[in-house]
Amino acid sequence: MSNLEIKNLNVSINGTQILKDFSLTVPKGEVHAIMGPNGTGKSTLAKALAGHEDYEITGGEVFLDGEQIVGKEPDEISRAGLFMAFQYPSEIPGVTIANFIRAALTARLEEGETFKAPAFYKELYEKMDLLKIDRSFTSRSVNEGFSGGEKKRCEILQMAMLKPGYAVLDETDSGLDIDALKVVADGVNQMRGPELGVLLITHYQRLLNYIVPDKVHVMFDGRIVQSGGPELAEKLEAEGYDWVKEAAPAGAGA
Amino acid sequence: MSSTQDLKPDTQPDLNIERDVGNFHYDTQYEFDAGVGLTEQTIDYISDVKGEDAWVRQFRKKALKTFLDKPLPTHWASKDLENIDYEKIRYYLSKGQRPSRSWDEVPDEVKQTFERLGIPEKERAYLAGVEAQFDSEASYSNMKEDLAEQGVIFVGSTEGLKEHPELFKKWFGKVIPIGDNKFSALNSAVFSGGSFIYVPPGVKVKQPLQAYFRINAENFGQFERTLIIADEGAEVTYMEGCTAPTFETSTLHSAVVELVALKGAKIQYITVQNWSANVFNLVTKRGLAMDGAEIKWIDCNIGSRLTMKYPGVIMRGPGARGEVLSIALAHDGQHQDTGAKMIHAADHTTSNITSKSISIGQGRSTYRGIVSIPRQLKGCKNNTECDALLINTNSRTDTYPAITVRGNQSTVQHEASVSKVSAEQIFYMMQRGLPEDEAMSLAVNGFVNDLIREFPMEYSVELKRLIDLEMEGSVG
Amino acid sequence: MSDTLAIENPSLEDPKIFQFHQEQAGLEVDWFKQAQQAAWARYLELPLPVRTNEKWRFANLSRLRDTGRFQPAGGELSQVTVDRIVKASHRFKEVAGRIILADETLAAPVELDPELGKKGIIFTTLTDAIVKYPELVQKYFMQQSPELGSEKFEALHVAMLRNGVFLHVPDNVEVDRPFVIYNWTVRDKGAIFPHTLFVAGKHAKATLIEFQESASPGTEHLVVANAHLFADDGAQPNHTIVQNWNQNTLSLQLNTNNAWSDTNAKSTLINVGSAQARQEVHGKIFGSGSNVEMYALNVPTENQEFDQRTLQTHIAPNSRSDLLFKNALIGKSRTIFSGLIIVEEDAQQTDAYQTNNNLMLSEEAEANSLPGLEIKANDVKCSHGATTGRINDSELFYFLARGIPRNKAQELMVFGYFEEIVEKLDNQELADYVREVVQHKFMD
Repeated sequence: MSNLEIKNLNVSINGTQILKDFSLTVPKGEVHAIMGPNGTGKSTLAKALAGHEDYEITGGEVFLDGEQIVGKEPDEISRAGLFMAFQYPSEIPGVTIANFIRAALTARLEEGETFKAPAFYKELYEKMDLLKIDRSFTSRSVNEGFSGGEKKRCEILQMAMLKPGYAVLDETDSGLDIDALKVVADGVNQMRGPELGVLLITHYQRLLNYIVPDKVHVMFDGRIVQSGGPELAEKLEAEGYDWVKEAAPAGAGA
Repeated sequence: MSSTQDLKPDTQPDLNIERDVGNFHYDTQYEFDAGVGLTEQTIDYISDVKGEDAWVRQFRKKALKTFLDKPLPTHWASKDLENIDYEKIRYYLSKGQRPSRSWDEVPDEVKQTFERLGIPEKERAYLAGVEAQFDSEASYSNMKEDLAEQGVIFVGSTEGLKEHPELFKKWFGKVIPIGDNKFSALNSAVFSGGSFIYVPPGVKVKQPLQAYFRINAENFGQFERTLIIADEGAEVTYMEGCTAPTFETSTLHSAVVELVALKGAKIQYITVQNWSANVFNLVTKRGLAMDGAEIKWIDCNIGSRLTMKYPGVIMRGPGARGEVLSIALAHDGQHQDTGAKMIHAADHTTSNITSKSISIGQGRSTYRGIVSIPRQLKGCKNNTECDALLINTNSRTDTYPAITVRGNQSTVQHEASVSKVSAEQIFYMMQRGLPEDEAMSLAVNGFVNDLIREFPMEYSVELKRLIDLEMEGSVG
Repeated sequence: MSDTLAIENPSLEDPKIFQFHQEQAGLEVDWFKQAQQAAWARYLELPLPVRTNEKWRFANLSRLRDTGRFQPAGGELSQVTVDRIVKASHRFKEVAGRIILADETLAAPVELDPELGKKGIIFTTLTDAIVKYPELVQKYFMQQSPELGSEKFEALHVAMLRNGVFLHVPDNVEVDRPFVIYNWTVRDKGAIFPHTLFVAGKHAKATLIEFQESASPGTEHLVVANAHLFADDGAQPNHTIVQNWNQNTLSLQLNTNNAWSDTNAKSTLINVGSAQARQEVHGKIFGSGSNVEMYALNVPTENQEFDQRTLQTHIAPNSRSDLLFKNALIGKSRTIFSGLIIVEEDAQQTDAYQTNNNLMLSEEAEANSLPGLEIKANDVKCSHGATTGRINDSELFYFLARGIPRNKAQELMVFGYFEEIVEKLDNQELADYVREVVQHKFMD
């Protein structure tokens, strides 16, 4: 049961239902993309999976390698192996990236294990080089004063360091120029493999030129309305989302 | 990467300033006890026991009159001050007036107290000298021999008055006059203990001198008096720590600290105040900086019921510098009313104030400051930054600065901001696997980080640890 | 001054002054008479301010202890004086309405565009309004107080006030042209107590500009003025006072700006006149979604003292307030700025700012700044800043290098410094006038 399994998930914000019996399974080792028009519930899915308290799960289940994560605290979900790359990462004044990642790794240590700083820095610098992040960034406060591209690379850096079993990338391509997009995509591609399942959430097909997904799902009005291979993304790019709305089952729609 | 953040846990010196660590109490028999309440007899008792000169007795009596005449500052300060009952306080308690030079000679329960607080251990590790005060008098006072050879004096104020009257008298009560405020008058009337330090010209004391103040008895008022004189070109760092057990009734701590930095001298005074939550901590601290001299107050207020403390620097000589770095953390039932006073009295004097306060739960923090360039001076500068962080909806923060500038040759800048730890920040950190209280603690540490970096390393590490402890259980 | 007193008025020290005043006024509206009586009792009871009171910190109190010798102004003015005042009370090509008061007496008939009268706008003297619209005036009159230390003088103001202006703009009425008030002091040793009440109904929009002047430079005056602004939901009132009393005047200006939901309320103080001017402004925000702006531009010279105390109180959540008080100090002048932002427990998501800048232009000027915050809610964005400094040397050098003489360069730079406030006046004629007044002050 090595997968991220979402079953009939219903999510509301302030009493308004956003996700409606949403179901999806991402096996470990695969990259799935979710595409859809704005306001269709893509980011809600990401935040709900991560356990944000404003997103009320009114029904359904989410299993991470068979372990139920609905109702768990965000930090427990994170340590259980689900990483979320934020669309709008928070700034944390006064806390350096190095210390932040270190604190996150320390929180994952087993009883009696000690943190090994030299190995940590060696790995951190390797990953930073890979993501073309200047080493001076380690002493900068998390996301404070970062450009859009720097923030997104910093998200991928954290993902590389925390080595989650599953990653949800929420609109990671938004606000990136093409060079930055390539760097981010390279970083994700490096991590691809049998130990990682990825859920890419995006509005545009652009990112999928660089991270080629195994499966593409089209989301509309809080549920998946169509699934297919990478060619589905190309169709969306060519034809837009209008046909999706028409193809949506009765009852769906704004 | 700042070096302080990468210390391995095993290299962190243990300063033992958590309040829980200080929350114990040994029954002690006192040889000397001035009884309860404050009258002229109390003062005669203290003066007799100490065998003081007539001028000191006169000074005390004059101060008592000032104290009784002066109203409480409750028209601008907290009304909580009205809850202090001066008739129920014991003003002098000691086992004797001569501190030991060796821990072996210190009475058992006093020695046990300080051992439990880790003082002898720290002395061996990195201090140039230690004075340990138990209620009214120093029980132990010692300094490294090479400093004594260079003429450095580091003794208790009782001993300083006796052995070095000429040095003492010259500056005593000059930086902070008796009538400066009601509590400086109270201290001037009943002072006992505290340090007297003299550093001769050109002597730079590399390791810090440490004083440790312990309140052991219930209903007791501690009134130490410290005078530090750094002669021309001398340098010294002084650190003070304090604890008291948690008693049923409230306790009063009211110190007066006077610093004198002569031409080109540097004094750094570090306080980590971590009194238990029933201590009224009403302290007057001021330094006088002559030509080119520098006085820096590093002031961390974590504990107490009410702290009122505004360390100041009077820049008397051209080119003098004053600095106050302060951190205050106010938890439920606490009010940290702190700040700084910078008086520019000569050309080209510069001062800096950086204040960070954190209010948690029902805690309240207040910044009060004075920056004054009262005469037409040239090239004076002040920069003040006050930042407040609010953690819960019931926390409160106030900022009351007062700035006076005369003439067009000086610049003064004051900035203050209030922020809170946002829910989104906490969620972001939790998504990386940090439990909520750790995330909160990290955010708070981030808030004070740029300031803590300015502190000597032993203190910055300890302070971070202390903040972590305070943040535990503060959320949810 | 050629005017002589027709009758010998009693001074404020005279025990019969209040009785005399009420008989003179002859206003037979019960609630108002009672309010005045109660205020007089309060005035007699309240103590004079003392220095140890934080609200009077740094202030010069000697003049305030010596107000008894002034006589409440009253009686006839000579036609020559009235003509001169009316002629000088003309600073806008087009106005919505104009009221000229000389020693609290109408110097010319009230002017109000009849079209606006038809829309239900009331713009008249306060006494007229008390008689014609007693209930409407009573609803707002002295319902709010600055609470900043001048309670005794506020009581004196209410007890002794003889006239003022009432502007009421009904719901949904918008007026572009300004309503203008000219308030003049005339008689030597005269005391006046002008009162402005500006009520903007729901989604109403209007501008009220008030000029405060003296007919002659040599006379001595006491002015205790009040201005209260009420902005109902969605209203956009804009109120400016140009304080230019002569330099022998002790003036107190006690104002409140009261904002309900979704308002855009702006008030500006321009200060050039008075020997000593004490001003209190309290912005109170009772509703959400509001934006309350408070500005001041102050140019004290010689021995003038401008003492300004402000409060921004956020009672409701989700509102914004912005305060910017700029001083340029010349001669031996003194300024005191004491500002406080109070965010009440329920006023989450408040955005409040407060800035005081002091530009020191002489060796002997003294600026005191007390920028305060009291925050009882945690989800707020609040900041305050105070700077005191001199003209930027490198900027000055740039002017000199272009051949501009030092004093002209300074003047230009000071103008640049003030432009931030002048721009906010939103009225070209007023902005030009303010620039002119400030320039005049520099040439003295």
